[in-house]
Amino acid sequence: MDLPFARSKGVNQTLVAAAQEAPREADLAFDLLYRSSRDDVYAYVASLLRDGPAAEEVTATAFERAYRKRKRFDSSRGEPRAWLFGIARNAALDELRRRGRQAELAVEPADLLAAPAHESAEESERRIVVSTALATLEPRQRELIGLKFFAGLSNAEIAAVVGISESNAGTKLHRAITKLREACDGVL
Amino acid sequence: MESSRDDKLAATLSALRPAPRPAFAAELDERAAAGFPPQTRATRSPVARAIARLRGLSPQRVLLPAVGVALIALAITSALVAISHTGSGVSSDSSVASAVSSPASEGAAPTQMAPNSSSSSAGAAGGTGATPSVESEVAGPEVEIPTSAAEAADSEGGTFDRSGRYASGAPHRDVERSAEMVLGADPTEVSDDAAKVFAAVHSTGGIVLNSSVHDGSGESAPGANFELLIPSAKLGDALGAFSQIAEVRYRREATNDITAPTVGVSERLQDSNAKVESLLAQLAAAESDGEREAVEAELATERRHAASLRSRLTALQRRANFSRVLLRIKTGESSAPSASGGGGWSIGDALHDAGHILAIAAGVAIVGLAILGPLALIALLIWLANRAWVQRSRQRALG
Repeated sequence: MDLPFARSKGVNQTLVAAAQEAPREADLAFDLLYRSSRDDVYAYVASLLRDGPAAEEVTATAFERAYRKRKRFDSSRGEPRAWLFGIARNAALDELRRRGRQAELAVEPADLLAAPAHESAEESERRIVVSTALATLEPRQRELIGLKFFAGLSNAEIAAVVGISESNAGTKLHRAITKLREACDGVL
Repeated sequence: MESSRDDKLAATLSALRPAPRPAFAAELDERAAAGFPPQTRATRSPVARAIARLRGLSPQRVLLPAVGVALIALAITSALVAISHTGSGVSSDSSVASAVSSPASEGAAPTQMAPNSSSSSAGAAGGTGATPSVESEVAGPEVEIPTSAAEAADSEGGTFDRSGRYASGAPHRDVERSAEMVLGADPTEVSDDAAKVFAAVHSTGGIVLNSSVHDGSGESAPGANFELLIPSAKLGDALGAFSQIAEVRYRREATNDITAPTVGVSERLQDSNAKVESLLAQLAAAESDGEREAVEAELATERRHAASLRSRLTALQRRANFSRVLLRIKTGESSAPSASGGGGWSIGDALHDAGHILAIAAGVAIVGLAILGPLALIALLIWLANRAWVQRSRQRALG
């Protein structure tokens, strides 16, 4: 005689359990963002810090901060990648503040020396020249190069991360690339 | 050509792109799957952990509990203030008390109170003939006499040898007593009750200084006012007798220790009398007219001084011997239900109390805002300054 009540109760319990286990929209969006940006964020942070272990720690910190703020992200105010790189930038700059060092946009010397086995002599020389040319750029120009070529951000995203207009970001990036090309003159 | 160079540059920069170690990538993936538990939580201090937790919360989740806590604190504070305010009002601030001049609360002697302007008759139940003399003697010199021991000590030019500032060493205390009483009577019984008051005063040997009785025949409401002098030794009996006449709506007694001024005036009077005796002796021994005239002049001055002191001492003794009583007979509903204990709690009372509590709550809120507002502003300025400093230092770190 108690069958309807018992069945109804069971169905309700099942629905509640399913609803509780289902990941929410913010979690899903963050998971996608993490998967698409993990290596880019590391590359950008490593280029800023020029320190592998520190870059790993800052990358983890940046994702942790972003994860905790994921529900506060407002898509109407910008792209999620720009938001994530803004967090990563602040975390990297905080690390630089702690160290009291100037940011240097270059890969680690060890990476420069460790050339891939399949790399030709010409490619190896070009890589060293470009790396040396990068070191001659101003830090802010190096950061723009890193955001563009290491992190793969668009000009609009770079503008959002750095806090300037998109046109201004495009102009500054163009100047940085021109200067880098001039520094590499004869090799490229 | 240009495009080819750009392609080569982009390809070279891509080759320079730092890549995470596979172990780190795997570890980060695990942490991502676990919801990024803080790595350094074990090594953090509790304060750092709390700050990190607060930073992770959304503003709404921080603001709502904060506002809730503030509202609860405000409600509790308002309730406490309302309760304490209501309690003090019941004990000492009834409307009846405010309508009657209160010697004790104002720190004034009963004899300094203004006579009732509506008094229509003056008489004595127990000593009609004595009334004028009592009035003149009590009301005259006493105006000059300080009502507290401290004031008396100051006016006399110092402390008393035997007693100090408060005459603490005096073997006998002179205490001035006063009382107020409001009786609630039926309008048709005001005259009878007034007659009972006169009888009670007569039985205690007291004096009616002023009285007015309205039976309701005119425009004024039925009621009666009495200003009485009752022998202090029988004040309790008199009040007891008054309480038997009608319902007591309000009763208040006050005392004022006048030992210090009494002792001071008494000692100065003794000194003055001694000086008069000395001057009399000098006058008897005077040999020339000029010397005699000078002593007589000084003697006259000292006798006036002694007379003044004697008058003041008499007035002080009368204040100690007679207690002033203000007695009112009122008709109609009691305006001080807490004093009589009668009457119900009506809707009007509830609305009045609600308005009172709301007013107190508003007052507490204003005071709270006055305190918290500047603090919040300071906190906001500190937060903005810290934020600007952090942003500037980040830009400096970039170079």
